[in-house]
Amino acid sequence: MERINEIRLRGMLPEVFADEDIPESDVWDNCLELYRGDNYLIEAASGAGKSSMCAYIYGARVDYRGELCFNGKDARDFSIADWQEIRRRHIAYLPQELDLFPELTAWENIQLKNRLTNHLDDKEIECRLEELGIAARRDYPAGRMSIGQQQRVAIIRSLCQPFDFLFLDEPVSHLDEENNRIAAAMIAREAESQGAAVVSTSVGNPLLLQNAKKLSL
Amino acid sequence: MNIADRLLRKNISPARIAGFVLSNFLGLAIILGGIQFFIDAKSIWEDDDSFIRSDYMVINKRVTSENTFGGATGFSTSEREDIEKQPWVKRAAPFSSADYRVSASLMQQGRGLSTHMFFESIPGDFVDVPASQWRWRDGDDEIPVIISKDYLTLYNFGFASSAGLPQMSEGLMSGIPLTLTLRSDDGMRGVQFHGRVAGYSNRLNTILVPQEFMDWSNARLGTGRMKDPSRMIIEVSSPGDVAIKDYMTEHDYEIAGDKSATSASFLLRVVVGIVLAIGVVITLLSFFILLLSISLLMEKNRDKLHSLLMLGYDLRTVGAPYRRIVILASVGAWILATACVFLLRAFYLPAIKGLDAAPGTVWVMLAVGIALTAAIILLNLRSISRKVISAWRVSR
Repeated sequence: MERINEIRLRGMLPEVFADEDIPESDVWDNCLELYRGDNYLIEAASGAGKSSMCAYIYGARVDYRGELCFNGKDARDFSIADWQEIRRRHIAYLPQELDLFPELTAWENIQLKNRLTNHLDDKEIECRLEELGIAARRDYPAGRMSIGQQQRVAIIRSLCQPFDFLFLDEPVSHLDEENNRIAAAMIAREAESQGAAVVSTSVGNPLLLQNAKKLSL
Repeated sequence: MNIADRLLRKNISPARIAGFVLSNFLGLAIILGGIQFFIDAKSIWEDDDSFIRSDYMVINKRVTSENTFGGATGFSTSEREDIEKQPWVKRAAPFSSADYRVSASLMQQGRGLSTHMFFESIPGDFVDVPASQWRWRDGDDEIPVIISKDYLTLYNFGFASSAGLPQMSEGLMSGIPLTLTLRSDDGMRGVQFHGRVAGYSNRLNTILVPQEFMDWSNARLGTGRMKDPSRMIIEVSSPGDVAIKDYMTEHDYEIAGDKSATSASFLLRVVVGIVLAIGVVITLLSFFILLLSISLLMEKNRDKLHSLLMLGYDLRTVGAPYRRIVILASVGAWILATACVFLLRAFYLPAIKGLDAAPGTVWVMLAVGIALTAAIILLNLRSISRKVISAWRVSR
């Protein structure tokens, strides 16, 4: 599969919203094009459907109306194998609920993804743990960490693959401004080196990314 | 062990897997043991007579003093039709008998031996001898003959010892040139042939020649008078059927040959059938134990499966630990069961050999074991694939 340069959402609407009056939105029931290389910040109140949008684009859910196209190809036609390749090489996703395995340590959680893609070596992962200040928690079970620490583990895990688009669903909701800045810098660095786009969502504590286009939902 | 495998093996219940292995082993051992015992023991009853299958029966009318003075023992056309109509009869055919005189002579160590005898024939498809050995064509000088084993016994232990003649084995007898002289009733026409003993039968009390030869010789030497056949050969659906016995008693017919072998072989089939049925039930239950434990395990690990698939793991990869369990447990149970059958066999084989029977092949047992194990594995693998796909779609 070639690199994904453009994701287009045309007339997309979650089925649950179908019979409701929804406020004016850049995403729902509109035409939105996301380009590789740009950064986007989607701000909205909770319940507006940010996580739904991420899940649709990641192929985790299909309960939407309208059209979702990658490079002009309808995502509904993708096979399971296509989606698994997209998830390994083209789209990285940090879900709001993090999806870490509580019984595995921080290191194992990260390696679970990295062994699949062989994207980073052990040293690079250790540097990132160091950078985000959780190196000391490396061998702690994820379930025993604070939410803020878990968010940082999940951020590192989401960077353990090549990607064209990185979707971060409220990635720093439990981080202080300092850690937010460090995380944002690490994410921006990685995205830039891959020529990728970063799409993050927020309900009030946005990822501090430079030059992010703001979209409302 | 890699991290994903470790995650997916969470919640495995060794007790449940052991339960499957034990019950599957038990079920398979019963099925395979039953099959193997049947194959080995069958020869005790059936090895003797390779010419006539056990589901064939030869019947005749009981000879009473009435018959001796008039009164025929032949089956009339209506009686033959009535027999053919019975539900336990698959097919029936009359014996044809020679309508001329036969005498056989053999030369041995310079001494001649000559005797009157007779021929009968039945349609070729009732005789279980390769067609190449049981064939006669116009112009052939040699006639294949199947004779009753009793005749050889009579000769060896009755006649030969009192007449000072050497006893003869089956093989030796078959090698001796036999001259058959056929003569019409009026003595005007005659013809000579060489006879070759194609085999000895326990269950046919007669001297059998190919049907083609019988038709040819009767046309050539016979008087042309049609007599009712005195014996019938019938193929029955189940030799142990009581209805057969009742019918025979009612019509005063006799079943010729070794009936006890037929009933014993039928009994053996019934017993093996019951044992196999028990084995099949246990195997089926063990199959469901495995299916349910794997399903339950995957149900418990469904979130983990889903999360791994969300990370981009292949369907194949996340199903692998469960497939491994199924294959290892099933193959393990099969190996145990097969070993158990061989062990069992080592115990009963000396007894069977003591009964002068040849042990049968083990290939059927091995093939059935492999087929059953493959079926259990394949059905479980299919269920695993479905579960993985359902985990993929869990929130779709």
